[in-house]
Amino acid sequence: MERSLLWLFEVGGASFAGGVIGAISGFGGGIVIVPVLTVFLGLPIQHTIGASIISVIAVSSGAGSVYVKDRITNIRIAMFLELSTALGAILGAAVLSRYLGGPSLYVLFGITLLLTLIPILANIHQELPENVRNDRLAAALRLNSSYFDHRLGREVSYQVTGIPQAMGIMGVAGVVSGLLGIGAGVVKVLAHEIYMKVPTKVSTATSNFMIGVTAASAAGVYLRRGAVLPYLVVPVATSVLAGAFLGTKLMERMSNARVRQVFAVALGVIGAQMLLRGLGGLRH
Amino acid sequence: MKEAERKRGDVEIHQASAWVLRAGVISSVSMMLLGLAISLFKDRPDVARMSSLGFKPDYLNILRQASRGNGLALIELGIFLLVLTPILRVAASMAIFAAHERDWFYAAVTFLVLLLTLASLLILR
Repeated sequence: MERSLLWLFEVGGASFAGGVIGAISGFGGGIVIVPVLTVFLGLPIQHTIGASIISVIAVSSGAGSVYVKDRITNIRIAMFLELSTALGAILGAAVLSRYLGGPSLYVLFGITLLLTLIPILANIHQELPENVRNDRLAAALRLNSSYFDHRLGREVSYQVTGIPQAMGIMGVAGVVSGLLGIGAGVVKVLAHEIYMKVPTKVSTATSNFMIGVTAASAAGVYLRRGAVLPYLVVPVATSVLAGAFLGTKLMERMSNARVRQVFAVALGVIGAQMLLRGLGGLRH
Repeated sequence: MKEAERKRGDVEIHQASAWVLRAGVISSVSMMLLGLAISLFKDRPDVARMSSLGFKPDYLNILRQASRGNGLALIELGIFLLVLTPILRVAASMAIFAAHERDWFYAAVTFLVLLLTLASLLILR
């Protein structure tokens, strides 16, 4: 009994940190949870990924409820782009996974993520994007919006560009999550940052909002495979949710530049993780 | 006038989505914690069992066991509810886009997202 309680607390601690980082940077909390549970607690990778998928849903919904209420999330962008993500996810899981997969895919994904650090680092100190005009699609879909920035103390209006490119990237994000069974929130933030040029807080909040749907559609596979351990999910989901609520409070007080810095670090870590996982798999 | 209407509709969608998400996470996590508490006191599972016992997606059985106060089944029901939360959120925004805003384009977009998400949740192996 005492050992089980200790085990629950260890799992919970790692998950709390995952929730804070996940809520700020816009992609679940898997980057912290998966390595800690596999390396330090010695759990098999399929069970940690199963717990991580459920935790992504908890972070997305918990942090999402705050960001949506405070209107940082852009629901129209999210709904429109979720369509290409959902199409990509079905294509990835139902069709492409028969032909693609395995370690080389992780290597490719890892290298791609590390390369996307370059445009992010180029704008690392920028507070708000400048000279962005709605493109035709964004204007027709009424995607421009505004949010109240607690750090700047004023309403920030923004326009949105690069919708066709963003749709393409979101489709890729869907394919990646369908193939690898991950939320691929990192790719969603990148589409917002690099192509659509919305303020970073809107990027991470909107991506956070979208990953819940992607993760929920992937969760069915894990539930059927028995990869979700109920006793593992309780401490993970509970702590990740508490962490996510704290993360939203921190994020709303941060500058956009700081949020982008947290995102850049997380992006580097995920890229390296994917690369290492792929290389490890290639060796075997 | 049109702009003002749109603003009001946006506020409604934000409020409804936030409400669904919050209600979903709070009820699912409370159910999981209740299940864990019951299970720890009654079944006293050890670490080996806790770190190996997988979710069995036999939903009728989960419902039956959960209604009898079985701890593990309550946890499983909580997990299922959590997975449903983002999907219920999409359904809620679809309803508001259609019924309140009469914004048929976004209602159709949300409907397709809902359909694709349910399809991958239920069909993919």
